Amino acid sequence: MTAEAEKPNIITSSLDFLVNWGRTNSLWPFPYGTACCAIEFMSTEVGRYDLSRIGSEYVRFTPRQSDVLLVAGTITYKQAPILKRIYEQMAEPRWVIAMGACACSGGFYDCYCTVPGIDHIIPVDVYIGGCPSRPEAFFDAMFDLQKKIKDESYMKQRADRVKEQLEMIKAKTAEAKACAKDFAHEKVEELKDFVMEKEQNLVKKAQFWKE
Amino acid sequence: MKTAEEIFTALEEMFGAKRETLDRWGVTAVVSAGYLHNAVEFLKGTAGVELNMLVDVAGIDYLTYPNYEGPRFAVSYSFKSTVNPGLRFRLKVLVSEANLKVPTISDLYANANWYEREVFDQFGIVFEGHPDLRRLLNHVEFVGHPLRKDYPAQKRQWLSTNDYLLPALEKRLETLGYRIVERSKEVGTNDNEFLEGSIKE
Repeated sequence: MTAEAEKPNIITSSLDFLVNWGRTNSLWPFPYGTACCAIEFMSTEVGRYDLSRIGSEYVRFTPRQSDVLLVAGTITYKQAPILKRIYEQMAEPRWVIAMGACACSGGFYDCYCTVPGIDHIIPVDVYIGGCPSRPEAFFDAMFDLQKKIKDESYMKQRADRVKEQLEMIKAKTAEAKACAKDFAHEKVEELKDFVMEKEQNLVKKAQFWKE
Repeated sequence: MKTAEEIFTALEEMFGAKRETLDRWGVTAVVSAGYLHNAVEFLKGTAGVELNMLVDVAGIDYLTYPNYEGPRFAVSYSFKSTVNPGLRFRLKVLVSEANLKVPTISDLYANANWYEREVFDQFGIVFEGHPDLRRLLNHVEFVGHPLRKDYPAQKRQWLSTNDYLLPALEKRLETLGYRIVERSKEVGTNDNEFLEGSIKE
């Protein structure tokens, strides 16, 4: 792959702009609320704070239809596989917000039953502090996430995606080359031996006839 | 209506109950495990007592308790009466570490079922005759009993599987007279796949 294919051009950049604009302004959250942070999220969602102003119009209670996994509350070890499974069920452009101290770090539950931060299970994009976080903090997190999404680029992702393949191809080529070299060496040595034998035979024959 | 003191004297005569000196505000009777079921039956059924509400069942670990001599564990039962207002009573059973067995009272109080499961989960005390003695709060792969004083509080244990409750649910439905006609595709378990099937048939 040449360097030209990695660079963004006018088509991909305008496509990026369009796609990112769409994604930024229609972030549908999936509330995984297990504690009081979920109550704060409810107040963020309804009338007074009104999350739908920034495009999070619907709260989807199915992972198939949502973009943002909002983990609001304490995650215990019994919950952990369920959370992981829900994350895996979400469709690909997906982001995770860890809301509140418990989801970020386990909070004050420093004990046998609480996961010390959901980043032990799933990748997290934005952390919000607070116990529980205020709706303003949640808005701030959503703006941060929007900024992050606006920076996303198709070509960058593609380069990242193709990088592995390219490295794999390079490694395989090097391997094949090394293999061929070894083979050639062996062949050359075989030929050398063959020629030496012939020469020795000829010398012997010549000596025999001389005698 | 009898007072708590009268109930205690009755228990003392019938089951050889002893007064718990640690309880300074109420009345706690310590009975042996063999008499527990009869004592609870007496508390629930006798006219004038009628402690018909089980408020709590709690396990106690006396391992690090100061100036304490005696068996390591105890199970404490709190009762309340809805017939005789203000009447409360507590029973206590001492359990030694060598013999972690207490008879169940889940046949008398339905909510004792889950309370006893919790005590079993957190302390490892076995309730004999319990219909379904499984862990209640901790997950299925948990090793040890976390509320025992010798369990390190920060020792964490990961759960690798998801709770798969459908087989249990189907069994219960079948006992109620339902019949399974067909299953959806997602229902079938695959043992090789991660996060599936902690409860297997």
